[in-house]
Amino acid sequence: MTSSPISPAVGAVRPGGRGGPTQRRRFRWQPAWLFAFPSILILLVFIVYPITQSFWYSLHNWRIGADVQEWVGLGNYEELFADELFWNALRITLLFSVISVVLQIGLGYWAATALVRETLLNRIVRSVFFFPTIVALATIGLVWRFLLDPRIGFVGGVIQLFGGDPVAWLQDPNLALPTVIFVSVWKNVGYAMVILLAGIKGVPDSLYEAARLDGANARQLNWHVTLPSIRPTLLFVTMILTINSLQVFDLVYVMTNGGPLFATDTLVTMMFREGFTNFDIGYASAIAWVLFVIIMVLSALQLRLFRYRDVD
Amino acid sequence: MRKIASAIAAASVVAIALSGCGAATPDNNGPVELTLWTGFTGGDRGAYEGLIETFNETHDDIQVTMEVQPWDTIAQKLPSAWATGQGPDLATPNFDPNIVAKYLDTKSLLALDDVGDTSKLAPAAIEAFTVDGSLYAVPANIATLQLYYNKTLFEAAGIDAPPATVEEFKADAAALTGGGAVGLSIADHETIQMWPILQWLDGGDIVDAKGCSVLDSAENVAGLESWVELVESGAAPVGLTGAESDSLFSAGKAAMQLNGPWAAAGYAEAGIDFGVASVPTGVNGPVTLGSTVPLAISAGTDHPAEAQEFLEWWTGADAQRQFALASGFPPVRTDLAEDPELGANEVVAAFAAALPSARLYLPGVTGATQVDTEAYVPFIGEITRGTDVAKAAAAAGDKINAITGCEG
Repeated sequence: MTSSPISPAVGAVRPGGRGGPTQRRRFRWQPAWLFAFPSILILLVFIVYPITQSFWYSLHNWRIGADVQEWVGLGNYEELFADELFWNALRITLLFSVISVVLQIGLGYWAATALVRETLLNRIVRSVFFFPTIVALATIGLVWRFLLDPRIGFVGGVIQLFGGDPVAWLQDPNLALPTVIFVSVWKNVGYAMVILLAGIKGVPDSLYEAARLDGANARQLNWHVTLPSIRPTLLFVTMILTINSLQVFDLVYVMTNGGPLFATDTLVTMMFREGFTNFDIGYASAIAWVLFVIIMVLSALQLRLFRYRDVD
Repeated sequence: MRKIASAIAAASVVAIALSGCGAATPDNNGPVELTLWTGFTGGDRGAYEGLIETFNETHDDIQVTMEVQPWDTIAQKLPSAWATGQGPDLATPNFDPNIVAKYLDTKSLLALDDVGDTSKLAPAAIEAFTVDGSLYAVPANIATLQLYYNKTLFEAAGIDAPPATVEEFKADAAALTGGGAVGLSIADHETIQMWPILQWLDGGDIVDAKGCSVLDSAENVAGLESWVELVESGAAPVGLTGAESDSLFSAGKAAMQLNGPWAAAGYAEAGIDFGVASVPTGVNGPVTLGSTVPLAISAGTDHPAEAQEFLEWWTGADAQRQFALASGFPPVRTDLAEDPELGANEVVAAFAAALPSARLYLPGVTGATQVDTEAYVPFIGEITRGTDVAKAAAAAGDKINAITGCEG
């Protein structure tokens, strides 16, 4: 461990001529590896190991601490694909993700273009938009849940003040999901705005000048200059927001706990229920892996969709 | 030179790694230290802390530290901690007594053979915690649900006494609704279940002794239909969590609520002029829901004798008298029923009076937790939102039977 026997050996081998250099570089001993070692160790222990372990769990009827774990092969997955609650949770998760990401990016982009100029007012408005982003989701969920309480909440009070009937935002199965999506958008729109704003500010003025000389109007500038130029930023923010939305848990858990009648039950709240309420660890791990695969596939699709083509 | 640098670097990495592993040597002369995890984060927390304080003051050789954390956190941490022989010596694994079976699956619980005379402890709890002839937990508390009523709203509606029968109960709930208030605030999830009481009042039930659903029995369907009618008329709100139901009563916007002793202190603090009455008598006599929190010992504890001594003390007469007076909970012992000091305390007396008629929720039912989360909670949610009771009962019954393995 303390000496470095590999490096001189590998470095000394010079198989001469063809293919030499690439082979020589493959295993070069670098002290950098040593400094990276603690990080790699942490990565292995806390990321790689749990991920593979959870796959192992998902192949068993796993009970924490039991002497013998019952092997069920793909049984958990078969059960999962026959479980209507799973399909419901998948539908809710996708619905939640698609609607909230589209709204977050759309509104975030609109806010970014509207607030791009550096005036004092714009800076203040930007901070206001960004503020919800830095508050913990669970806190936001609790506050909104209280505000939206039909009988003692602020929103109900305002509605009653104008003579309306209080609305059961979170107790009505038809309204619960739109309400949770609204809060999620409200929270994340500032994040999308800030990232997109940074992207927009990075677009060289010369591009706009050239386009204006060619007679482009504001809409065309937006569509043919700004949007293509910030494609990498769009890709980044879409991917981050999509992955976050697919994994949504805290907000739903605090606001509705997946209810009413599973109307807001996402894959992660279902996984939590199976794992920590029903103690069915194998089944919960299977849900986690399905979600993992979905996120991988969607991320790959997004990367392809937004691929940065140099020809542009 | 580079070689030396890497050697030094490697040596320091190893040194850093090793320095984190200093093992503490146990002190054999001091008192035995026990840790206890509980989920008592509510208004009753102080009463439990008082118990621990008294125990530590009176026991030089054993010192107990209680760590209070949310029930969710315990559910996430305790199973793996105990199954691997780590974690606290003692814990209340959940507020649901049915949890004992889950921990027994993983052989995480110590069989209690030295906790004194358990014949004086609440029989329903002891029965729930006994598996194959061995006791695996003692009741950390026992609670019954009773009828809280808002005296101001009763007066305003011209009703001078809380309802005594199920018919009066329904009539009062309707009469007390209006002017921004509801007659009955009832939660249907994230709390101790209250709907079973309404079912029992009309002679219905959830499962029979074999674990087969009886939700679709005639009494049940008829009874639930009458409650659903009240819900639809606005006398009882739909889809409340336990906390939301409590807020409604503390805000003076609910005339009646079924709740446990833990709620009393909060309502008094909120300035509500309330009384606690017995749950109205059902068609088959008095009935209410009882609940008990199991207090168990880890199979991996290093101090089984001391931990059991603690449980014996906790369920003893002195500790239970202190706890009842501080919390309003009835004592877990049956031989304190005649205790004059406890009898003089209105809240304790009210909740203790219901002990003989208290029934547990899904006791001994296989997969009780899953029956609750996947069948019963959705069932109540559906019928209070307009699904036909008979139809929903049949569907929920199928789900329950699939979980419990009822042969039908």
